[in-house]
Amino acid sequence: MTNVIQVAILGLLLGGVYALMAAGLTLAFGVMRIVNLAHAVFIIASAYISFFMFENLGLDPLLSVVIVMPLMFLFGVAVYQVLFRRIEGTPRYTEMTVLLTFGIAIIIEGLLGFFFTGIFRKADPEYATDSFIVSGLFLPEGDILFIPKGQFFATLLSMVLLFGLWGFLRYSQTGYAIRATMQNRAAAQIVGVNVRRVSAISFGLSTALAGASGALMSYLFPFFPFRHWQWVAVLLALVVLGGMGSIKGAVIGAFALGVASSFVVDRIGPTWGPMTFYLALFIILLVRPRGLFGKEVAV
Amino acid sequence: MPPILEISNINAGYGAGPNILQGLSLEVEEAKSYCIIGPNGAGKSTLFKVIAGLLHPRSGDVVFRGESLARRRPDQVLATGVCFVPQDQALFPEMSVRENLVMGAYLVRDRALVRQRMDRVYEMFPILKERAGQDAGKLSGGQQQMLAMGRALMIDPILLMLDEPSLGLAPQVAQQIFTRVRELEELGITVLIVEQNAQRGLELADWGVVLDLGIVRFEGPADGILEDPRIRELYLGKAASAGDTN
Repeated sequence: MTNVIQVAILGLLLGGVYALMAAGLTLAFGVMRIVNLAHAVFIIASAYISFFMFENLGLDPLLSVVIVMPLMFLFGVAVYQVLFRRIEGTPRYTEMTVLLTFGIAIIIEGLLGFFFTGIFRKADPEYATDSFIVSGLFLPEGDILFIPKGQFFATLLSMVLLFGLWGFLRYSQTGYAIRATMQNRAAAQIVGVNVRRVSAISFGLSTALAGASGALMSYLFPFFPFRHWQWVAVLLALVVLGGMGSIKGAVIGAFALGVASSFVVDRIGPTWGPMTFYLALFIILLVRPRGLFGKEVAV
Repeated sequence: MPPILEISNINAGYGAGPNILQGLSLEVEEAKSYCIIGPNGAGKSTLFKVIAGLLHPRSGDVVFRGESLARRRPDQVLATGVCFVPQDQALFPEMSVRENLVMGAYLVRDRALVRQRMDRVYEMFPILKERAGQDAGKLSGGQQQMLAMGRALMIDPILLMLDEPSLGLAPQVAQQIFTRVRELEELGITVLIVEQNAQRGLELADWGVVLDLGIVRFEGPADGILEDPRIRELYLGKAASAGDTN
């Protein structure tokens, strides 16, 4: 029993970070119908920023979020204005974004490889390898649970950021405009929302979330430039499971698959972990193609 | 009195497609109501989209109270007091009725004014007040249309365009909508309406405009159009003589 709880805890802690990563990706699709294949390479680029700030300036990766997020926000707005605006309103826009972001991903991957080489990196703040140890409580005599500190802080920060995102979308004027644009772009225009501005801001938010995810990745998962393909596949699986464009769906999907993969790793073996995501992807596409919380969309 | 809205020689179409509007010109006078009729594909909805800034014309100009709207964004057009209520799917389905109204006043920063206008909308459409907390997507067709019109009033428009407000509604419900349209006219709002029930639409309006193949084929006092046998035959269909184009 203790082992089951332990595995579930590890899964939830993993899910928290996945949720943050997937939220940004699904936001870009929900507001702008952009399928951003470069989302994971943005995360890895941000991981490099956090990694080097830790190595050279001793800045804690968790704190680096304060710098990386605004930086990636501005980067996202710039990328949107320069690259996406010119294809806005074209027929087959979503398909165009797949090609465009594929290109962006390859370019950034190449640049990262050129500047930082292809070797594995991982920041190692003290808490990254430390754990809280829980005993007593409801546990049988002598049993203990490990809660890895790094994962725990990361999930905590993810939840704070996602809660902030929720509050922003729910209560701010811009949040109203973003939700309105997600639900009905034409109607948003009709009531006077400048959907171009809202799109640029939303893309900036999406990349800012990638930035925060990268800061967490810098010490949680070893990374190198090419790694992003593996990540984007996992993130797309999460987003499709939750329903493309549904932030709630992405978060729930992330936690569910985090826990599921954690059990697969424990029961079957570590090499089968990533398979969980693809298997879930196949099943959801067969059974409910719109995802758990998605709407029917014609893409 | 100079026209409040002057549309001159508009050519417009979608993407790389052909011109839907082909040199259309029209003058609209303040505080009058206009019913635009014409067969499918005549360009009625396209004309509204051009005026609202949702579709930029390839040539020609739209001048509202002396200002050109032809190159403006939809939010800039709305800020001048020109408001568009499209045919369908005009609402935010996962927002409540109240939130939809708040969105209608998105450009209004004065909260007291928003509240005041919302009270006015609730007074005009009491059902919206009853359903204030409900998601817009869960309302009936007639209620959704009322919400779309109520939301348009939140901006206090000078000119209001209604695209087939009675589409898909039961006759009694459509009748309620028409009564509200009449009230809007009495408020002094200039109303442009496209109505698939041409007979009914023309009865509501002061002026009738017949659109065909992207130009204004004929215009004149609405009651005159209703009585013109040629137009009845060409654009109102035979059923019109029985008083029903549905």
